Amino acid sequence: MNPRASRRDLLLRAALLAAIAAVSPLLMPAKIAAEILICAIFACATNLLIGYGGLFTFGQGAFYGLGGYAAGFLMARFGLPWPVPLLAGLLMGAVSSAIIGAFCIRRTGIYFIMMTFAFNQMIYYLAYTFRNITGGEDGLAGIKRPPFGLPGMTSLNLDNPTYFYIFVAAIFVVSVLALIRIVESPFGRVLVATRENPRRVASLGFSVSLVQLVAFMISGAFTGLAGALYAMLYWIMPIDAVHWLNSGYIVFTVLIGGTSSMFGPIIGIFIWLQGFFSTLWARWPLLFGAFVVIVVLFLQGGVIELFRRLSALWGRRERAEAS
Amino acid sequence: MSLNLVFTQLLNGTAVGMLYALMAFGLSIIKGLLNIPNFAHGAFYAVGAYVCFSAYERTGSFWLGLLCGFVASGIVGMVIERFGVGKLLASAYLFQLLLLFGVALMLEQAIILVWGTAGNSKSPPEFLQGAVDLGFTLYPRYLLFITVASAVIITAVWFLIEKTKFGAYIRAGIDKKEMTQALGINIDALFTLGFGLGAGLAGLAGGLAVPLVGVTATMGTDMLSIAFVVVVIGGLGSIYGAIPAGLIAGIVQSLVTIWAAELSTVMIYVAMLAVLTWRPQGLLGER
Repeated sequence: MNPRASRRDLLLRAALLAAIAAVSPLLMPAKIAAEILICAIFACATNLLIGYGGLFTFGQGAFYGLGGYAAGFLMARFGLPWPVPLLAGLLMGAVSSAIIGAFCIRRTGIYFIMMTFAFNQMIYYLAYTFRNITGGEDGLAGIKRPPFGLPGMTSLNLDNPTYFYIFVAAIFVVSVLALIRIVESPFGRVLVATRENPRRVASLGFSVSLVQLVAFMISGAFTGLAGALYAMLYWIMPIDAVHWLNSGYIVFTVLIGGTSSMFGPIIGIFIWLQGFFSTLWARWPLLFGAFVVIVVLFLQGGVIELFRRLSALWGRRERAEAS
Repeated sequence: MSLNLVFTQLLNGTAVGMLYALMAFGLSIIKGLLNIPNFAHGAFYAVGAYVCFSAYERTGSFWLGLLCGFVASGIVGMVIERFGVGKLLASAYLFQLLLLFGVALMLEQAIILVWGTAGNSKSPPEFLQGAVDLGFTLYPRYLLFITVASAVIITAVWFLIEKTKFGAYIRAGIDKKEMTQALGINIDALFTLGFGLGAGLAGLAGGLAVPLVGVTATMGTDMLSIAFVVVVIGGLGSIYGAIPAGLIAGIVQSLVTIWAAELSTVMIYVAMLAVLTWRPQGLLGER
């Protein structure tokens, strides 16, 4: 691809992401829109592993939670400037996913899935046990959003819903663009190649496990960042964020959107507005479970598949009319 | 700290570990046959526990309760295999896994709708109450029962798998699916029955746990994580890896309770880390 076309492409995507962020709060309450953008970062980071790396992780909730706890702990105890908790979440996600990833990528297939799940639960029980840091079952409360400021600018109070939404939206656009750049970089190509043909990649001189580990770390870093934003969103970091349901939820949203592009997971998040449904009925996971089962049984390709089927149907009708 | 306490906790750990082994054994059978991680296994455990609880309370017979728990979970499992998992065997792992995830959510919520969010408890039948005097300690009769019952059940399933014709089919199905099918064995029915057997074992473990820990809405999820850890420790090479691994998990957990009760659940994961560092493929896993 020539550089100019690639730059135009990137600008186009940036515009599209910005449009998504700009339109969302018009369709729903700003708080839910912010939650959706945060989950979208989480979903795109997960898609780096599932869609591009072919690594079916079922333990992303661990890094989301750890990132949120690291950021939340700093915001609740110390009044640090805004980049610090975000970086803490990012670093926590990267470091923890490097450690856990190092164990998991040594195995493939089902054993890999089971290990990611087991580590997820390990983090959950650690969070449950060390309640003086995480707040245990009650969640980490008392989080204060730091004011946002840049050199040469008056600082903005992020407790203002509009400012906070813009803050989240900016991080959303930057993060997803970064992920798009990563999957289109030479590293991203090699990652896809490890999914398609690991032996070939190894014979070309790349270390498959190193590539996978780096992917794990990048994914963990963005997941941790999303967790840090989530800790700010409700001024509390609930233990549910580390629960395996959260890991399953994100895998599902990635799949219903489609894994072939970074926009798929974003679509997926919009389809299943968790924050919205959970306020309607305490037993909403029942509906969610039923929805998962139906989608998996009848609509495996995700929404993208639905579009394709509809357009195929449309095409057939047009052809029938023409003849 | 006395040696007596260590021995007592060792015995307690054996009982709990046998329960874990029973639970994870079912998970291993399902994994071996269908090559899927059964995320609904915790839900089967909870269904078995609740059904056993209700049947026991209505009829007063614990044996009947256990049987009902086994049958109920087994039937739920067979239905899920027949109409769900079985249709997805040609798809990617992720879809089978998500299906079971969805089913687990539905079952967990259905249990809450039927039995409510509040937990409940029931004491063991009279002949299993009290304690046995072992000389150095008084050992609860019910824990002894769990150990013996789990051992008997595991032995019976081992016999079923290793010594009967049905078991030969199952082993053939685990080793070479296509070849088994080519020999004229109905592999679909075999998978359904195998899944039902694994689910039933989870239900049985749930029933056995009722007099010990009662029934709670979250019991399935808690046990699911333990069963997965046990299978990870055991390795995926052999369905019997779950048995020593279950014992290790139970004993580690009980021993740690002596010094730091609040760390006991976390310690199972530390044991997992230790085993994986030493043997990445698990205890009985193949390279």
